Amino acid sequence: MIENTSNDIEESELIAKAQKGDRKSLSDLVKMYESTIFNFAFKICRNHERAEHVVQETFFSMVKSISQFSGNSKLSTWLYTVVSNHCLMLARGEKRREKTFFNEDISDSPNYTPTEWKNHPDEIAENEELRIALDKAISKLPEDYKIVFMLRDVEGLSTKETADIVELTIPAVKSRLHRARAFLRDELNKIFSDENKKNYL
Amino acid sequence: MKIKKITCKEVADYICETLGENLNSPKCKDIKDHLEHCEICNSYYKSVQETVQMYKQYKIKVSDDCHSRLMKYLDLAEFE
Repeated sequence: MIENTSNDIEESELIAKAQKGDRKSLSDLVKMYESTIFNFAFKICRNHERAEHVVQETFFSMVKSISQFSGNSKLSTWLYTVVSNHCLMLARGEKRREKTFFNEDISDSPNYTPTEWKNHPDEIAENEELRIALDKAISKLPEDYKIVFMLRDVEGLSTKETADIVELTIPAVKSRLHRARAFLRDELNKIFSDENKKNYL
Repeated sequence: MKIKKITCKEVADYICETLGENLNSPKCKDIKDHLEHCEICNSYYKSVQETVQMYKQYKIKVSDDCHSRLMKYLDLAEFE
């Protein structure tokens, strides 16, 4: 999540300077958000090359339009909107939806099979198999579900902020979030069950 | 005594809908009571929480090359 801290003042000053043509301030803004936007794009695109392309286009939009940024919303919200749109455009262009296995009725058939999850969040940095499992699970979600899950759960935006960014109603965001959480949990449960059988993870 | 009948399906749906939100409504209290006594639902609840937490913790480092290409693309390489 992009933190809302005292850095907000610094950010406002950077935006004001950048709007007056100060390219060093523009560069500092890019550096401030580069990692957050790259991580967001990577988790949607599931591919370094595509994520890099999306990040470049997102910041290109920022550089091009910074003079028109009104400050009515946070810069982070504006960047999330732009990066989400670029991810969706890329996905539509590649017709990636055809490759998904997402069942819209997933919430009607949750998998209750209790499986002991041997992994813990703090192991992710050292556990390549776990990262592959997370990639595999989220790659099956349609892009619009991934974006809602990422904005709301991973980046920590409110339901209202998420709804504004993806241009959906609040109930529609809640519905997508509900299904995405249930789907990801069930996918990971299946993977971990299989892996446990193989005593792999 | 009034017996509250909440199914595991309801609990699972509710967990996925409300995770991370304010859980003070009367229905939430029923859900919490159910979770305390139902091992399967409790396990499900924890696994949904852990799913979200794992994706939150999953971070990719931007490589130096990737950063350089971005700054060059934006014509900001002089501020590296």
